[in-house]
Amino acid sequence: MLTMRNIKKIYRTDTIETHALADFSLHVDAGEFVSVMGPSGSGKTTFLNVAGLLDTFESGTYTLDGKDVSGLSDSEMSRIRNRAIGFIFQSFNLIPDLNVFDNVDVPLRYRGLSGSDRKQRIERSLDLVGLSSRVKHLPSQLSGGQQQRVAIARVLAGDPKLILADEPTGNLDSLMAREIMDLLDRINAEGTTIVMVTHSPECAVRSQRQIHVLDGRVVDVAMPHISLARTEASAGVASTLG
Amino acid sequence: MLTYNVKIAFNSLRRNPVLTGLLIGAIALGICVSTTFIALRHIFEKDPLRGKSSQLFNVRLDNWDPQRAWNAEDPKSLPSQITYRDMRELMKSSIPTRQTASFRTRFFIHPDPKVGRPYAENIRLVFADFFPMFDVKFQYGGPWDKAADAKPEQVIVIGHDTNQKLFAGANSVGRTVRMDDRTYKVVGVLAPWKPALLYYDLTQGGIGQQPEQIFLPFNFTPVLEVQSFGNSDGWKGFDGDGYAAFLSSETVWLQFWAELPTPEKQQAYRDFVNDYVRDQKKIGRFQRPLHTEVTVLPELIKQQSSLPPSIRSLSIVSILFLVVCSLNLVGLLLGKFLARVPEVSVRRALGASRLQVFWQHVVECELVGLAGGVIGLALSIGMLKMISKVVPNGDVIRLDLEMVAVSVFLSLIAGLIAGIYPAWRVCSVAPAMQLKLQ
Repeated sequence: MLTMRNIKKIYRTDTIETHALADFSLHVDAGEFVSVMGPSGSGKTTFLNVAGLLDTFESGTYTLDGKDVSGLSDSEMSRIRNRAIGFIFQSFNLIPDLNVFDNVDVPLRYRGLSGSDRKQRIERSLDLVGLSSRVKHLPSQLSGGQQQRVAIARVLAGDPKLILADEPTGNLDSLMAREIMDLLDRINAEGTTIVMVTHSPECAVRSQRQIHVLDGRVVDVAMPHISLARTEASAGVASTLG
Repeated sequence: MLTYNVKIAFNSLRRNPVLTGLLIGAIALGICVSTTFIALRHIFEKDPLRGKSSQLFNVRLDNWDPQRAWNAEDPKSLPSQITYRDMRELMKSSIPTRQTASFRTRFFIHPDPKVGRPYAENIRLVFADFFPMFDVKFQYGGPWDKAADAKPEQVIVIGHDTNQKLFAGANSVGRTVRMDDRTYKVVGVLAPWKPALLYYDLTQGGIGQQPEQIFLPFNFTPVLEVQSFGNSDGWKGFDGDGYAAFLSSETVWLQFWAELPTPEKQQAYRDFVNDYVRDQKKIGRFQRPLHTEVTVLPELIKQQSSLPPSIRSLSIVSILFLVVCSLNLVGLLLGKFLARVPEVSVRRALGASRLQVFWQHVVECELVGLAGGVIGLALSIGMLKMISKVVPNGDVIRLDLEMVAVSVFLSLIAGLIAGIYPAWRVCSVAPAMQLKLQ
């Protein structure tokens, strides 16, 4: 599904050069649920931005669903983000002036779907997350967990192949966090690939594979379900794991 | 997508009504001022006979004093009218499809005592071709024919207002009107006719002048020894006494028009006029260098329209004022749009391209422009109404559909000027930086 080889990402200012990703390599199979962990500044968010085509990279290759996505134009990347990728953010990132229905509708509008098609998708996804009775509510009228479920419904409505979640439970209490993780499990069980950045070990153990990132590189992979003989694993990771 | 962008724009504008009011108000002010002055210029400069004016040509000849030009400050100036004797010679040409001379005079009208008292009225003497040439519309009847022209028959065409006054608006064709010491039969009644400019006689000042209410066959001029109540000008005295001497003098007092529908006729007629002047030179007339003008109506309006230069200048200044109003909004819109960068970043993450985000914001600016345009247009209508009350012939001052379209166009341009930079700035923000910071 997602293959990054030797990705390099550098942030430059007038005086400082920050190597956010240095020789970053990762492969995620279709249908996997992978968590990415690491200390602050390790490059997790940068990896997520590059993976989600929200940011570019200096060198390396990135193949998404079999297509090389380096060097694409802004409109091509936007199209892939809209159709193939879904984002779940720590602070939900719902648009405050739009009600639940309209928030879930946002990505569908950029896909050019008909009104009836959009309505059908929105109602189905809200039903999946258990918020059908809240369609007219504004985000300010919802709890944190409900807002995150709306964000997940927004992702589900687009039926993406890959979900990128940036600390989806970071702003939630443990009960709501569990609810969200249960939802992600169900989504993954239906075949959607999930890559989740998290600080929470409780959330990380829910994934099939845990990637540890440090100084812009993958330094450790806990792969209880994946064979180490996978050819896409980088030499550095293989040697780290012995 | 346009409907969606309009919906987003409405939500955004509703969010901060005070700011929205300021934005719309600034554009409304600019549109009001610019529309008012452009409309004034447009009313008096627009083609009065669209579709026909390119075929109507005014003739001017330089029969003036060999020692000085007609306008001492402009050596190339020509008298704006021609002499009676030149008119008679020009009328002999068969090149024009139609042709007419005309001038204004004044007669006393003696209505039925039951209707009213005698009064003086402006009369125009014309040939029958005048009416189809200038596309004059009739409510009842029509113009007299060429036979009535030649004789001349005691027939008249009256205007709508005179028909209302003398005959209570009824079909007065066949009825008679006493003017001075003769009685004339009405053959036609004009439909209401209020051009913005008296385009067939710009020597009267053009602007602020109404068409005459009664038209009489031109050939009554020598019969009745009619005096011109329009402009007349001469550079030397008459040879002899009396009206005949006046008619054969070098006094210019007639407007002359020829209808020339094709370029071939136009060239042939120009050659004819030049040949005529060369012939007249041989008998001692036209002692100034050969200079004739056969000028198409729209060009003549541009040359001779008495639109005050201040109106022309103000129309240009008013556009600049609109631009300044729009540019003043750039800062406001920049602040407004950049405050929405978090929302824009989310939309980008969800699949909106930079171009889509750009157009979304341009749509919002155009909505502001249009709203300002509507209010500005309403204010402009009010301003023009006020102006119409203080100028002569003021009821021609109003907005036509063309000006409404111009106003809408200007409001869209104003919205674009105000918003294009802020829209570009907000769509250029890197979404990745913003998403994490929320």
